[in-house]
Amino acid sequence: MAQLTLDDVTKIFHDDDEGEIVAVDEVSVDIEDGEFLCVVGPSGCGKSTTLRMIAGLEDISSGEIRLGGEIINDQPPAQRDVAMVFQSYALYPHMTVRENMAFGLEQSTDMSDEQIAQQVEEATDLLGIDDLIDRKPGELSGGQQQRVALGRAIVRDPEVFLMDEPLANLDAKLRAEMRTELQHLQERLGVTTVYVTHDQTEAMTMSDRIAILNDGKLQQAATPLECYHEPNNMFVAGFIGEPSMNFFDVDRRGSTLVADDFEYDLSEETARELGDRTDLTLGIRPEDIELVEGGSGAHDYAGVVDVVEPRGSENTVHMTFDASDSANFVATVDGMRDVEWGEHVTVRFPEEAIHVFDSATGEAVRNRELDSVEKVEPIV
Amino acid sequence: MSTESRNPLSKIQEMENSRIGLYAVLLFGLVFYLFPVETAVMTMFKTQQSFIETVPFAPPSADGFTLEALTTAWNTLRPGLINSMIMAIPATILSALFGSLTAYGLTTISWRGQVGVVVFIIAGIFIPYQAVLVPLAQFWYQILPDLLNGFVNTVFGFATGGNWTYPIRNGYLQLFQLSVTHAAYGIPICTLLFRSYYQSISDEMIEAARLDGATAFSIYKNIILPLSLPMFAVTLIYQFTQVYNDLLFALVLVNEPSSQVATQRLAALTGGVVQSFNTTMAGAIVAALPTLLVYIVFGEQFAKGVAGET
Repeated sequence: MAQLTLDDVTKIFHDDDEGEIVAVDEVSVDIEDGEFLCVVGPSGCGKSTTLRMIAGLEDISSGEIRLGGEIINDQPPAQRDVAMVFQSYALYPHMTVRENMAFGLEQSTDMSDEQIAQQVEEATDLLGIDDLIDRKPGELSGGQQQRVALGRAIVRDPEVFLMDEPLANLDAKLRAEMRTELQHLQERLGVTTVYVTHDQTEAMTMSDRIAILNDGKLQQAATPLECYHEPNNMFVAGFIGEPSMNFFDVDRRGSTLVADDFEYDLSEETARELGDRTDLTLGIRPEDIELVEGGSGAHDYAGVVDVVEPRGSENTVHMTFDASDSANFVATVDGMRDVEWGEHVTVRFPEEAIHVFDSATGEAVRNRELDSVEKVEPIV
Repeated sequence: MSTESRNPLSKIQEMENSRIGLYAVLLFGLVFYLFPVETAVMTMFKTQQSFIETVPFAPPSADGFTLEALTTAWNTLRPGLINSMIMAIPATILSALFGSLTAYGLTTISWRGQVGVVVFIIAGIFIPYQAVLVPLAQFWYQILPDLLNGFVNTVFGFATGGNWTYPIRNGYLQLFQLSVTHAAYGIPICTLLFRSYYQSISDEMIEAARLDGATAFSIYKNIILPLSLPMFAVTLIYQFTQVYNDLLFALVLVNEPSSQVATQRLAALTGGVVQSFNTTMAGAIVAALPTLLVYIVFGEQFAKGVAGET
């Protein structure tokens, strides 16, 4: 069993000018055997540092990292039985593909040359790069180099794969292909994987679970759909989902949320969930905003279309409320629906789709109802 | 314009101005550098009389041609050339090797106090040769022999009977001492050259190697060393030229005539009372041959190294 556990892992960098910088702040997460965990967050959130601590490339300031129950804090990288794929691929430019892949086995095992050759061959077959085996990295395309870098990790047959934005240097089409391929590969090999990315699409589509980091702190570790529908806080809500969730500052007066541009009446049930908090933020995802014809319901508001971004399957519509200097918000509508700049429309914020956050702490007070969406996977 | 009708003039007309300028500069450079060499080559094949009668860069006339100067120069310099090789080749290789290892230890491996060591080494580049002449001579001729005499006669006294002396006057030993001195003196500049080169090597690659289970030395041997071949060419050329051309250390450290290096022999060749330009020029050309050869052999790698290719 190669269960990887991070227990209150903290990394403090000492800087001469700025003193102590806490890069990773008491992050705790359990990664099950064979699980694919994506660590996402904006630049500088500590995700790469976390990965490097697991790899052993950075010291751990405090806390524990356990692999299969054994504390690996003080083990050198080579003894941890982890393999890492770097964003720059980090291939050895003077070695052929074969030598690149064999290097790890030569250095860390007592295998005979034949065994190594065989293992390298299996890995290249698996990745479909067997015809490139005698070339050097300089003669390969970005995608091929990427495969070799993956192969170098696979051939070692490690307990854990660590991937640091491995697809970031590929073009969009290839990235999408490799995403699928990586997923297949990971499922097939069943190796516990920690995958760092700043791209929430990668995180959403590939992972069993997502760990979202911000400012070195773990915001939420849950399945992609949970993060999407039941975010712990405003950061997660805003980070996951494209386009991002719309947020409106609201004051609560009784069972009404009062924003600058609109008032939102809450049902009794929702109002009860909010307790006695008054300083709140209303959140609604663009795809939950409905454009209705001449509606006059409780949650219908007059809006003006500002910018339309057609995406083919859907249109992203930037809108304002029907008032001067009102807040902007974004709605996503069907691609076949014709919306034009300056058009006056009625928008509906359905109550079952709204999220409410505590403005001071950012904590989610109320998340959308899930009856209307598909069943969420159970927590692993 | 059709390709058949091309003549040199139309080619020049087609060229961009910047390219014409470039060629003009290159041509000037070529003449500037080769003119003195041509003069030297012409002079070394002339008799003394012919040298006086003709302009320096003109070729010798039929009866003014002689190989005598070249033969004299060759015979005088030959033992010196061999001694120079014996001394300069190991010194160059050692400097480059130690420089490379030191630079590796100061860039890719991180440890406390690195900066201090780097500053210390770089300071070593700026110590003038003249400043160390006296301590250097004292070290090789007094301190080291005294130490060794004492050590050997104490520890192996049963065999030597206390009469062993360090063979200060052994010619090969003097060459060896000169070689070691040059090797040590070359380490700082080689370290600096390798260090800037290693700083451009990707950290991720080194980390990948560490994850692959390679030890610090294994990383050096399998990854850093093969990647630093262009830089080795640079340091080998630079260091060889430095060591080979040096006269100062040689004068102080080598006094056995049989062990004199090429620069010392060249000084002897040209130091006569009568100034014979043809032998002087022949000597200069012969003495310059090894460095020329080194440049030709490592030229391509040198260019890569200077361009910072990995």
